[in-house]
Amino acid sequence: MLKLEKGIISSSQLTFLIASYIFGGVVSITYATQLAKHDNWLTILAGFALSLPFILVYTALARRFPDKNLIQIHDIIYGPYLGKLISASYLFFIFTILTSNLRYIGDFTLTYILPETPLSAIVILFTFVCAWGVRHGIEVIARMALTLVVFSAFLFLLTFLFLLKDMELTTFLPVFEVPLTEFIQATHIIVTIPICEIFIFLLVFPSLNKKQQLNRSVLLGLIIGTGYLFLTVVRNVAVLGPLIGITSAPSYEAVRLIDIGHFLTRLEVLFAIVLIIMSFLKSSILYYVLVLGIAQLLRLRSYLPLVFPLGIIGISFSVLMYDSSIEQAFVGSTIWPIYALPFEFLLPLLSLVLAKLRRLPKFQGGSR
Amino acid sequence: MTFLLILAFLGVALFEVPNLIRNKHWRELTFFSAFLAFAFLLSLLQILNVELPNPIRGIQYLIKDILHLNYS
Repeated sequence: MLKLEKGIISSSQLTFLIASYIFGGVVSITYATQLAKHDNWLTILAGFALSLPFILVYTALARRFPDKNLIQIHDIIYGPYLGKLISASYLFFIFTILTSNLRYIGDFTLTYILPETPLSAIVILFTFVCAWGVRHGIEVIARMALTLVVFSAFLFLLTFLFLLKDMELTTFLPVFEVPLTEFIQATHIIVTIPICEIFIFLLVFPSLNKKQQLNRSVLLGLIIGTGYLFLTVVRNVAVLGPLIGITSAPSYEAVRLIDIGHFLTRLEVLFAIVLIIMSFLKSSILYYVLVLGIAQLLRLRSYLPLVFPLGIIGISFSVLMYDSSIEQAFVGSTIWPIYALPFEFLLPLLSLVLAKLRRLPKFQGGSR
Repeated sequence: MTFLLILAFLGVALFEVPNLIRNKHWRELTFFSAFLAFAFLLSLLQILNVELPNPIRGIQYLIKDILHLNYS
């Protein structure tokens, strides 16, 4: 069997890829913010703790089948037919994540930066840049991730410092005010949308050069990404206070308040830059994983011919799938956590248990 | 609008197809054409304002009205 991806990434590059992927989820914590309000920072901590076991399931699966990606793992565990079916449903799930992301960035740009532009124009331009990155393979995306994460972390720290004088720590009080059901729902959103979506890296892990460092780099990436989300939420709560449950983009509203001596104002575009860069990385990774997975499922020799057709289908669906950003927020907070449940929690766990019970992978003549 | 769409798809086809034929990647060419035809159909119907089935609506229906698992 020919290997589809010849690129090799190092473990530190994997760390930054995962961190940037979770960074990219900064848009979706809004769904949780509207529920948990000023206790949102607690939901991030709870979500981090809850998602750890599942992340360990993914890495255990990846270490059990070091040279296989998710599609091949399904073929081995469930057999050729059921495995193909499960892989196809996974790819559909990844496709819907990708289109939601494209739609979100389109809606964000439409609302805050370019109000008169048609949605499809923004999405087409954004997808085209992603397609360019994807055609160059995982190595280029990984190298890009390192630079862009450092750059946007710098911009983030800058806005954090500028906002220090506006922060009031009393806005965190009273702690744990929200009802328990809403707290659970917000935690569920945090676990499924930004954090546990990194199961898609099961398709990237075979490109890693040092397989024994996999656990370490994944956990480090998880900590960096979640730490960034945590700092963002703490900043937003401290700056916005009770306003945080009302706005549709709290980070944007918080950065908008920067005012240094009436001279440094209207820096909200700094946050827009960070958001667009991070969404670009997240969408590129999703796009790459989707194209690679489909090429693997159809047993092609190269994934390059699928990049443009899939991008065009993605653009069409992202314009089609929601009528408005309100509907997207509604689906993101009530339907999506349930929809993601089988793909992120049940099936990986089932795969691992079945692989353990059937003592897979079997050794074949000395070489794995 | 339709003319622009056809132009864009011709551009994509001209970009990919010569390489595939030169390397004799017939299987890849088949799936490339299938996906591109699907994409063309989808975007053409969208431009002509035809109501298309929406997979997210289907998922919403499945979770909300059949399984009753959604958060209220």
